[in-house]
Amino acid sequence: MNFSGEDLERLRPKVRFKVCYDVGFFCPDVDDIVQEALMRFMLAAREDKIHNQAAVGAFLNGICRNVVSEYRRRNMRDEPMPEVVPEPPGKSIAESELFELRDAIAQGMEQLSERDRRVLRAFYLEEKSKDEILKQTGMTDENFRVVLCRAKERFRAIYLERTQHPGNSRHS
Amino acid sequence: MSTNFHEDPVYREEFITAYLRRRLTADLAEQWESHYLACDDCFEEIRATELLIRGLGEPMVERRRVNDVTVLRFAQGAQLLASSLELSELSNVIRLQNDSKVLIDLSRVSRIDSTGLGVLMNCYCHAVKNAGALKLLNADAPVRRVLSVTKIDSVLQMFEDEAAAIASFGLPQA
Repeated sequence: MNFSGEDLERLRPKVRFKVCYDVGFFCPDVDDIVQEALMRFMLAAREDKIHNQAAVGAFLNGICRNVVSEYRRRNMRDEPMPEVVPEPPGKSIAESELFELRDAIAQGMEQLSERDRRVLRAFYLEEKSKDEILKQTGMTDENFRVVLCRAKERFRAIYLERTQHPGNSRHS
Repeated sequence: MSTNFHEDPVYREEFITAYLRRRLTADLAEQWESHYLACDDCFEEIRATELLIRGLGEPMVERRRVNDVTVLRFAQGAQLLASSLELSELSNVIRLQNDSKVLIDLSRVSRIDSTGLGVLMNCYCHAVKNAGALKLLNADAPVRRVLSVTKIDSVLQMFEDEAAAIASFGLPQA
């Protein structure tokens, strides 16, 4: 199984996200861990060690897990109290990244109607179930799906805009 | 797993939210990671959800405690009108947090209508029921005028100085 450089670059943000999820965004060695994981993955692919095309994600995930474990073990050995601690829940966007995205997020929020925001807040922040929200708002299931998908579509566009044209987001 | 994700966006969102909040079991988290590492679509959905949650999570009402008094202030310029989101957030903050001694800083509020006044009075009743009080701080002239015309200022005490307002709750000055 062969992976081109382009394929690897497409995998990089995902691997980075997974690694950051495990070791925290403030870990100074994130990029090294990501690079090591991708390198091992590429070598395994070259040596035809990936037999099941459908399990590429699981294979890559296994490599990431191993690299992260080795990194942690190394840190534990070198320092009794490692500085790297996992991010607290819900803090998965790096603050520097967030700073660049702040305007884009604000614009995305402005495009949502008050009702949509209320529904989305209930779903994402107050952690209410879909059924609870439908009962409280009198919305139909279809309406709820439309609200959710419409909002997601906008924020997905913001994310894609940023990844395809990095650095543009603060001026958009 | 992947079939469900791609067939049902609500199910996928519930899953993504649980993952971002680190509430999935280790097995489920691993399955989900294995899935998104191979699925551009689901990975983009995670990132979009993160941004959306960040956007929704930006607090419109800042909340801090001075002794046992909760001081609320709008993060940006706000209008307490029937159609404004700030109003429902203010009401939620007071009722859900079950605060009893509340001081609302109105310095960033430029307009208020009858719904806004109604919400302030509801919050006041809520605080009084909890053996507390609700007072106002730094209301601008237009807002002060409305409060005066409707005689709500005879029920809700208004202050220009935060320390004096805090002290009026029966506590030593902060």
